[in-house]
Amino acid sequence: MSQTVKRSNPLMWLIDPLQPTASQADPVYRFKWSQMAWMLPLAIGIAGLVISAVGWATDSRQFFFSYLIGWSFCLSLALGGYFFVIIQHLTKARWSVVIRRIPEALIWSFPLLAILGIPIVLGMHDLYHWTHLELIDPTSEFYDPVIAGKASYLNTPFFFARMAFYFLVWTWISFKLYTLSLRQDVDPDPSIPKQQRKISAIGLPLGAVTTAFGGMDLLMTLDPHWFSTIFGVYFFAGSFMSIMAVIALVAMILQRNGMLRGVITTEHYQDLGKFLFGFMVFWAYIAFSQYMLIWYANLPEETIFYRHRLEHGWEVFSAILLIFHFIIPFFILVGRWAKRILPVLAFMCVWMLVVHWFDIFWIVAPVLHGDHAMMSLYDVSAWLGVFGVFIGAFMYRLSRHALVPQRDPRLHKSLSFTNT
Amino acid sequence: MSTASTEKTLAYTADFHDEAPLVTGDLTFHDITEIVSVHTEKKTPLAWYGAFSLALSGLMIMIIMIAYLFWNGTGVWGLNNPVGWGYAIVNFVFWVGIGHAGTLISAILFLFRQQWRTGINRSAEAMTIFAVICALVFPGIHVGRIWAAYWMLPIPNQMDMWPQFKSPLLWDVFAVSTYFTVSLVFWYVGMIPDIATLRDRATSKIRRRVMGVLSMGWTGANRHWRNYEKAYLLLAALATPLVLSVHSVVSFDFAVSIVPGWHTTIFPPYFVAGAIFSGFAMVVTLAIVARHVYAVKNIVTIDHLEKMNIIILLTGSIVGFAYITEFFIAWYSGVQYEQYAFTNRMFGPYAWAYWTMMSCNLFFPQFFWIKKLRRSIPFMFVISILVNVGMWFERFVIVVSSLHRDYLPSSWDYYTPTIVDILTFVGTFGLFFTLYLLFLRFLPQVAMSEVKGVMPQADPHFYDHAGDGHVAEHSVEVSPENEQPN
Repeated sequence: MSQTVKRSNPLMWLIDPLQPTASQADPVYRFKWSQMAWMLPLAIGIAGLVISAVGWATDSRQFFFSYLIGWSFCLSLALGGYFFVIIQHLTKARWSVVIRRIPEALIWSFPLLAILGIPIVLGMHDLYHWTHLELIDPTSEFYDPVIAGKASYLNTPFFFARMAFYFLVWTWISFKLYTLSLRQDVDPDPSIPKQQRKISAIGLPLGAVTTAFGGMDLLMTLDPHWFSTIFGVYFFAGSFMSIMAVIALVAMILQRNGMLRGVITTEHYQDLGKFLFGFMVFWAYIAFSQYMLIWYANLPEETIFYRHRLEHGWEVFSAILLIFHFIIPFFILVGRWAKRILPVLAFMCVWMLVVHWFDIFWIVAPVLHGDHAMMSLYDVSAWLGVFGVFIGAFMYRLSRHALVPQRDPRLHKSLSFTNT
Repeated sequence: MSTASTEKTLAYTADFHDEAPLVTGDLTFHDITEIVSVHTEKKTPLAWYGAFSLALSGLMIMIIMIAYLFWNGTGVWGLNNPVGWGYAIVNFVFWVGIGHAGTLISAILFLFRQQWRTGINRSAEAMTIFAVICALVFPGIHVGRIWAAYWMLPIPNQMDMWPQFKSPLLWDVFAVSTYFTVSLVFWYVGMIPDIATLRDRATSKIRRRVMGVLSMGWTGANRHWRNYEKAYLLLAALATPLVLSVHSVVSFDFAVSIVPGWHTTIFPPYFVAGAIFSGFAMVVTLAIVARHVYAVKNIVTIDHLEKMNIIILLTGSIVGFAYITEFFIAWYSGVQYEQYAFTNRMFGPYAWAYWTMMSCNLFFPQFFWIKKLRRSIPFMFVISILVNVGMWFERFVIVVSSLHRDYLPSSWDYYTPTIVDILTFVGTFGLFFTLYLLFLRFLPQVAMSEVKGVMPQADPHFYDHAGDGHVAEHSVEVSPENEQPN
């Protein structure tokens, strides 16, 4: 580590591994906003968590499921950012340099998310049916041979070991990506772009495997009988779509508050909008592939997933998902105008983030309420809770450093970038 | 502080060169035209005749085999019960897969602003179209009752024989024919400015007429370019979902069934990744030969090949990860039939095919992590061929190993292709190379106008050395050569 960038103390390290470098930022790229920027979301988050804590005390099963939805939502955003940054480095992308600091700051959420994951650890028994040991005990009346057959994979110690491995990988790669970029801000070491590419090349296959299996472990095993090989891709598709919405929204919020004016332009927003549209369609393609193949083959062990989501009121939720996650946004986002008129784009970004949350809700909640469709207050409060803390820490991180990788050698190409 | 840091940044940026030029050898626009056009204009070399007669012989073998098949029926193939799908489907999927790189390069890489695509897109698109033609042979001939093949098309007839719209085999007819049509239009539209160049250079009347008709009155006017670029962008946007849809539909042929090893939800994206993987391998194989024979090494540089090798590494790893996921979920599912199908693939009678597939698709491409190897022409040539061997075996493994031991052990059997199967497949290479050699002989194999567009000279400020908005004195001196159109 260079002398100009200092490490934070161990506690602070969880929020931001480096001490502030904002004083060395070009004034144009400095964070100029009150502390409200991060305190407000943090306050909302804490309020949400407090409300949810009531749920934990009164209806713990509901709380755990609601919390898993909110937490997985934030995890998917962080993973989306992880892939976004990696892909920009590997393709030597020029257009995205001015917006890259946003996902770079976002991906240092993994240590915080690991801590925020504690309630899930405590709720394992409520969340994951396969943790019930009587299911794998041949002498028990609840013995389930199918789940018993999976016991060597679906058992609590191995689950925790896998989670620890995933988080170690994500934290390690993110640490490298985040600190290399910040180091470049103050110390233009010409070897940094190469180091960034190198760590990205390692991070891509590792990230692919951990994201796919992480998605399956956290969400697919909620119904331990059900299986789908495409599930990891499904989880990735939603994540990668959402990160585009996050980047565009954060950029617009910063610009509204007087930062980065003229740095991030309509051209960059249009490109983000294209990716938002593209990966929304990709999500639909993956979702359709999964649904159509299961529907067509009509095997009971597979259709059970959709059966739960097509009866007892859940069919309305499924229809909402289809209409609001694909059909309507398709016709809005397909046009050039929707990506270049910023209020429209902002509206669609919020929309896509909400439906992405709804997508995770639609995967998780029917496991709890199989017999009657419902949305709980805690679904919203736990989501706001985790998301608020997640965003608060992210904005705080953003405020401590330059808002743009100010010495990235491709920065000038990004600044002058236009769609032709 | 800010001025100092800005200066520092500028100095740092100025030293930063990690992108090699797309066209090497200090070529001018006219050099590009010459290098590419001359091969369609010179006297046909003897070597071309040699290669062409070899390819034509292959095509003849295919035609003879198909005639033999029509005369005798599908009994001449090695099909048995339960393996009712053999070489025909394997070859169909193999060729459709190869036909994916062209449109990916011309459409998706275009939308991603990957300028290096210009060096290889024309020949890759040609490869796509010819590969799809090779693929289309098989659904046509495999039906057995060849006189009823037209029933695949949704044309009304007096017998009220409508196609089975619930069958993915019918979706295939639509998916592949749409893909073929759009790819052909895309290829042709992209070629119009270059055909106009050939027309303007033509020395014989017939050639000028033919090229004149094909170039559709192209004059290079501002308005022509504007329409052309708009059309190109729209076609790219239309072709992009097709790249994904075609092989997804092909994967449905298997995945909608309940045959263990066929029915798995990862199939659509995994087939698409595999198709891109094999397609790029074929582009590399052809490009290595073509750049050598046709002396276009300055246009199709080692950097182009390296980038394609990176895509081969990426897609190969995706395919490999899909194999592992499939295998894992087969175990995880707890379904004994799935579990058996996968163990049988690895250790059963077709284990040799399975391990060929695994080593060629997952293992060998991993060598491309090493920069030296992905820039070594002999090495990548070997790998590119191994990849296509592996991808052919992937389809063989999927089709045959899943079918030969189905739910009814009494009907288990071992499938062996007959000589007719093998020669028909060999013959499709004859068809492919016949078409490809005709393309190399008569059409510009490099998109000249697009390559020129990514050269430094295309920058409006290129000749403005002083930065004052005026062209420097020495660069206005136009040599007679440069006065030529295009």
